[in-house]
Amino acid sequence: MNLGFLNFYNAVLGVQQQRASLLANNIANADTPGYKAVDVPFESALSSQISDPTSADSAPEYRANVTVALDANDVSLDSERVEAASNGEQMIGAATFLKQSTADLITALRPNPSGN
Amino acid sequence: MSGNIYTIAGSALDAQDARMSAIASNLANVDSIAAPGQTPYRAHEVVFEAAPVAGDSADDGLGDTNSPALGVQVAGTVLSNAPLKQQHDPASPDADANGNVTGSNVSQVTQMVDLIDSSNTYAASVAVLQEAGRVDQQMLSSFQVT
Repeated sequence: MNLGFLNFYNAVLGVQQQRASLLANNIANADTPGYKAVDVPFESALSSQISDPTSADSAPEYRANVTVALDANDVSLDSERVEAASNGEQMIGAATFLKQSTADLITALRPNPSGN
Repeated sequence: MSGNIYTIAGSALDAQDARMSAIASNLANVDSIAAPGQTPYRAHEVVFEAAPVAGDSADDGLGDTNSPALGVQVAGTVLSNAPLKQQHDPASPDADANGNVTGSNVSQVTQMVDLIDSSNTYAASVAVLQEAGRVDQQMLSSFQVT
């Protein structure tokens, strides 16, 4: 039986969780002098997690092409909020798909399809 | 990891709270004066620094050594070096030999701008908390066994 989808969603949710943490951190440090916003590129972080689920989280990278304020801080509050909201939606989406996949599996495992 | 979002956003609320307290103190003292020989009020400026949140060491065994959860904390308070206000008022009992009264160096406009900035960041952190709560709730109901 191929349960590859479990590894896949494990990796997806792991990367999304790491991103959620980093984005919250960026917003928390929106007024910290010298702080640079960080994020992980979803695609490459996901592929490294899929190829080796036990590997450590991908190293965060600094954002490119951002405006740096006079206090050397480059956090854009608005874009971080948008990223955080869209990451949250993606987490809910991934969880919904995962639930559907496991529900199908459970249905298939039940001796009586009516569920008794 | 995810549970740290609350700690991270919480640290931001704490830090902004300290900053807003300093701003309130500065605004309250905008018209404070000092008698000759006394120290006039100087504007307090809160300095932030990124710092690991409590309970999250760099290696907690979760394999996320590359991104220890950071939050923000107050590194300290510095007194503004802006020039003190001097007002010529020989009638005042606090006037010096030249008839000048020394006041605080608080700029009302700067403080109000700081306050708006601080409350924007505070609101963003509250939004992060709400978002994290909503996602957690959705996740829980997704995996509810029926």
